[in-house]
Amino acid sequence: MADTTAELLHGTLVALILKTLAGGRRHGYAIARAIEDATDGVVEVEDGSLYPALYRMERSGWIEAEWGVSELGRKAKLYRLTPRGRRQLTAETAEWARFAAAISHVLLPAS
Amino acid sequence: MRFHSWPWKPRVDDEVDDELTFHLEMRTRELVERGMNAADARREADRRMGNIDRVRAACRALGEGRDRHMRRVQYLSEFVQDLGFAWRQLRRNPGFALVAVLTLALGIGGSTAIFSAVYAVVMRPLPLRDPTRLMVVGETVRDMPAMAGSVSAGNYVDVVAGTTTFEGIAAEQFSNFNLAEGGAPERIVGGRVTANFFDVMGAHPIAGRVFRADEDRPGHEQEVMVSHRLWVRRFGESASIVGSQLRMNGTPYIVVGVMPSSFDLTTDTEDLWVPIAFTDERKAQHDEHYLTVFGRLKAGVSRQQALAELETVAARLRRDVPRDDIEVGFLLIPFTDQLVGDYRTRLLVLLGAVGVVLLIACGNVANLLLARGAARGREIAIRTALGAGQWRIVRQFLTESMVLALCATGVGLLLARAMLAAVVSWNPEHIPRLEAARIDPVALAFAIAMALASSVLFGLAPALRLSKPDVHTGLRDGARGATGGGFRDRLRAGLIVGEVALSLLLLFGAGLLMRSAMALQHVNVGFNPGGVLTARIALPAASYAEPDRVVAAFQRVADAAREIPGVTAAAVTSNTPMAPGGGSNGLIPEGRPLDLKSVIQSRLRMITPDFFRAMQIPIVRGRGFSDQDRRGAPKVMIVSAAFAAEAYHGQDPIGKRVVCCESGPNGTPDWKIVIGVAGDVRTDGPSVAPAPEFYLPIAQAPPAAWEWVQRSMYVVVRTGGSPAALTQSLRAAVARIDPDLPVFDVRMMDERLADALATERFNTLLLTILGVVGLLLAASGIYGVIAYFVSQRTQEIGVRMALGATPGSVVRLILSQSLRPVAVGAAIGVVAALAASRVLTAQLFGVSRTDPLTIAAVVTVLVAVALIASVVPARRAASIEPTRALQAE
Repeated sequence: MADTTAELLHGTLVALILKTLAGGRRHGYAIARAIEDATDGVVEVEDGSLYPALYRMERSGWIEAEWGVSELGRKAKLYRLTPRGRRQLTAETAEWARFAAAISHVLLPAS
Repeated sequence: MRFHSWPWKPRVDDEVDDELTFHLEMRTRELVERGMNAADARREADRRMGNIDRVRAACRALGEGRDRHMRRVQYLSEFVQDLGFAWRQLRRNPGFALVAVLTLALGIGGSTAIFSAVYAVVMRPLPLRDPTRLMVVGETVRDMPAMAGSVSAGNYVDVVAGTTTFEGIAAEQFSNFNLAEGGAPERIVGGRVTANFFDVMGAHPIAGRVFRADEDRPGHEQEVMVSHRLWVRRFGESASIVGSQLRMNGTPYIVVGVMPSSFDLTTDTEDLWVPIAFTDERKAQHDEHYLTVFGRLKAGVSRQQALAELETVAARLRRDVPRDDIEVGFLLIPFTDQLVGDYRTRLLVLLGAVGVVLLIACGNVANLLLARGAARGREIAIRTALGAGQWRIVRQFLTESMVLALCATGVGLLLARAMLAAVVSWNPEHIPRLEAARIDPVALAFAIAMALASSVLFGLAPALRLSKPDVHTGLRDGARGATGGGFRDRLRAGLIVGEVALSLLLLFGAGLLMRSAMALQHVNVGFNPGGVLTARIALPAASYAEPDRVVAAFQRVADAAREIPGVTAAAVTSNTPMAPGGGSNGLIPEGRPLDLKSVIQSRLRMITPDFFRAMQIPIVRGRGFSDQDRRGAPKVMIVSAAFAAEAYHGQDPIGKRVVCCESGPNGTPDWKIVIGVAGDVRTDGPSVAPAPEFYLPIAQAPPAAWEWVQRSMYVVVRTGGSPAALTQSLRAAVARIDPDLPVFDVRMMDERLADALATERFNTLLLTILGVVGLLLAASGIYGVIAYFVSQRTQEIGVRMALGATPGSVVRLILSQSLRPVAVGAAIGVVAALAASRVLTAQLFGVSRTDPLTIAAVVTVLVAVALIASVVPARRAASIEPTRALQAE
């Protein structure tokens, strides 16, 4: 059971990162903040899982990185969605919708 | 761009550190903004990161994986790009592509074909359990380890009893069987084997069972195992064969099993096996050596350990059985080596030769690439300008070479298949296991490996040369401004040197073999093979038990053969030259002590008197046999000139007495009187020097001798007409004497002689073809290079002619310069050839491996060909109009 949850959350994190980057390029911290802000703080990104996820996504070719300058003028690694990443986002979104509908169907049968 | 010596690893580490540090700072700043104090904010940021060391390590590992992956992806995409480009380049220059591909295909196809043969014969493991542990145990005499002699039954029994290093030791006596069941009577080669034979060999039957341990006892030997080949050929793969009865040599046998086709190790191995039954007398017999002994080493036991143990057995035999075994020893030969014999060297020599052809082909293609590269200077300059480094351009060129080589491999494999089919169908003298040679995955892998290796070989030098951005202009300037001084292009001159040296090597080898073949053609074999027909007849032991009956039957065969119209002489003999069969005996001339040291081992022929007339072997002294030399008359023998020389050192042998072959009454020596000396015969082939031989009239043959030859003899008939036409009448004549007697191995004598030379002819032919191909390739290479030099020097030649040089002097100039690398190559080639001809020593006959005449001939041919290849471009140079040449600038 615990495994399934971890898997699920991990998959969700990837989807959230992809969605965030669809709005333009960002560094890692900005991605975390954007997710937290967008979910009104309901989802708190675990920073320790964020970066390995980013490196893994880079390897998969969904995102690519370059060195740029942050809004505060600091050198920062900026991530950007690739065309492949955009396709992956579509797929993950659809998967999430299917999953959420299924869970809702169980938990909220009335609606 | 950063410049580290290993630019990737520190980058990933720094990348991770920078990124995580940045994150922690930003998170702390955020928390401070929300009202935390700095220390708490930092702690909270650290908490949310978790174990930072683990995160860092995970990110580094992932980052490195990512970089590796990206490098690979990039490399691959560049490779695909290069492939496409290479393919388009070849399509754009079909002439170049065709010549290069065919040249390489010749080399790659040739080496693949020969490799397949080498693999099939020498390298492919035998289909037996652990074949490396299977050994042949041979007897040696007088410390002559080169001879793996057959083993006597007594010695075999003692070896089995006295050793522990073997898992099992089996013995086999090769025998012939007359098989009369189902169809015409037929002579079949088989083996009498100990019951453990198949276990020791490591093979299992596909039907039935092998012999049981109690089936090699006297009185029980009524079982027979048949080979897959015989089962298919003679019994149509009948499933009911196991348990059925076979009559062989007039005795019934029960078939107990069928061996698998994999146990037909070569095309001429045994077709059936019956148990060998040693009686107690046999087991005490140390004198008659007729067993082939196979031993399977225990796992982990070395050959040396087993040999040491065999030596203790030998020492005991020398002490206990001095009369027969005073000088006995044992040796162990891996079974594979025994089976393959000396073909290993011959095939490896051929493989080496074909490899040399491939090298020459590579030289030519390298030259072609250089020539074409000059035309691609612009393209390379553009690519360099667009940022391609030298290594990137080298890779592009190497990819092109590889595409070229792989195309050539495709064509080469077709060639190889055709060549292999031709070689296998020819297969002179039945090289064992050659029939299994084919273009299989192993050969395919070899061909691709050769292609890749040669693509580097011919592609690297041109690639390095052409990828240097400054070379093209530099080259052109050098060629333009220079005057005299020969070739400045070391690479091209080096190609000529190499090709000349390599083709000289090949031609010298071919030349030596050709001279050997010529010498063999003119060897006097000691008899006249023309007009002689030979055939074998074997009498079954069941109906011809008594020696008298055997002698009478063969006498009648000889008489009947002489009656055939057209026959001028006919005889029966236990052995004819160039044919299997016939053993040897130890002879001691009178006057020498009667012990093993005095023995002259000599080949025995038991004959009817007409043999010398039929074969036209001269009686050089004394007389031949007559009908008076029969049983009861004084025992006589005729010896060969080689025996006379060894035994009597120039004294007259006639009337001398010799002891041999049997004992007289009460174990006294049995003397025979020498009545004649026959001319020497090259029994084992024209290349093998005559050994001592002796002849006995069949009427006086020792009774035991009919067991030695297993009642099997040759009929030889001489005719003034065509010997082949006599086959039918000979068969009919034998059938009138006994319709159940198979007449087999019917062949004309000159066929047998030609067969004995077939291997030599085959080798000579192959090496000569390779030599000629190498020479042609080298000639075209030389032509290409000289033509290039001439084209580069058009202007200089124009100047010379404008200054009064005659066309003749221009031709001489070009020739003298082009012949310089040819001379260097020839010198290197001569040295290399003299060193390398060592590998041919065993194949040479009547010619030294450093034969100066052959060297001179080969050098002359090569220089002449090089001259011809240079004359064409040289004359073109001389026909240049000075004004045109000067305007060309």
